[in-house]
Amino acid sequence: MNDPTDTPTRLRYRETGKLHMDFHRTINGTIGYLRKNFGREVLDAGFRRTAHDVYRAIWDELKAGDTRQLVEHWRYFFGREGGEFEITEDGDEIRLTVSRCPAIAYLQREGIAIDPDFCRQTIVVNAALAEETPFEITTEVLGNGRCVQTIRRRHDSE
Amino acid sequence: MIPSDHFVRYYNEVFKVLQEMGEEHLVAYWQELGRLQITALAERFRAGGLQAVYDYWERIRQEENCLGTLTLTEDYFEFQMHRCPSLSKAQDNDATACDRYCDHCMGWVQPLMEEVGLHAAHDIHSRTEPHCCLRVYRSAGEAVEFEREARLLCRPYMEAEERGIQLVKRPANPEESEE
Repeated sequence: MNDPTDTPTRLRYRETGKLHMDFHRTINGTIGYLRKNFGREVLDAGFRRTAHDVYRAIWDELKAGDTRQLVEHWRYFFGREGGEFEITEDGDEIRLTVSRCPAIAYLQREGIAIDPDFCRQTIVVNAALAEETPFEITTEVLGNGRCVQTIRRRHDSE
Repeated sequence: MIPSDHFVRYYNEVFKVLQEMGEEHLVAYWQELGRLQITALAERFRAGGLQAVYDYWERIRQEENCLGTLTLTEDYFEFQMHRCPSLSKAQDNDATACDRYCDHCMGWVQPLMEEVGLHAAHDIHSRTEPHCCLRVYRSAGEAVEFEREARLLCRPYMEAEERGIQLVKRPANPEESEE
């Protein structure tokens, strides 16, 4: 089996070493705190800034019509955290099908109540990454740690 | 999913969002982090004392890939951080680091230690260099002695009060408190 840490990379961030999965608990708590006290606009502001500023390298490449760093980011980090997923390409569409989200699996294993907006981190980051690019990136949450994330070229961008 | 590896960069963005809304909101968020950590750790620390504190940070040292040295004595626990992975990531970042990034650490540690009857003191050395020294004492007096020698003491709640920031009394879970 290939070790993803051995392959050449175009990733701006590519951590190695051990994982502190309990950070998913703090994200879960933070999401609930921000929504309940300030509403979704403030909750989403943190995700949007993460997409545009932290993931600037991915966003810049998407603006230039290049999806490769985002796809490598998906493959590397879902693999590193032990997720079960498949990435498929069909024409202008790239699809990430997650059958076991490692973040959700961790919270379930620890008996932590999952905030109803937990998956908003994925939905909003994907939507923000697609802004000003020739792509739309959709997130279909299927429940119980399953989702489908799809990058497709916008017809109006052609 | 924001990968656990990237949590601190997301966290750093949350700090900046709240700071732009008003420093009191950032301070209130540190209090919430303290509440979350009390839920997760207080029982363990109360039962196991400084040894449990040491065991917790030994796990953190490994999982977060810290470069640091842990020491346990009869009187205190010490984490001498040589390279903090958290501030290092906030700085190795296409976004800018929050200027009060380091304060979040004592922001959750202090309420937790107060809850379990221990006394934390944190010399962060600098807010722009990823090294610091955290000590947790049994005795409040010895913690104060350590603080006197600090190069840059981190006491975010006291400092907020000194800066005239009104601490927000906010229920952690308003939906629960309405019941």
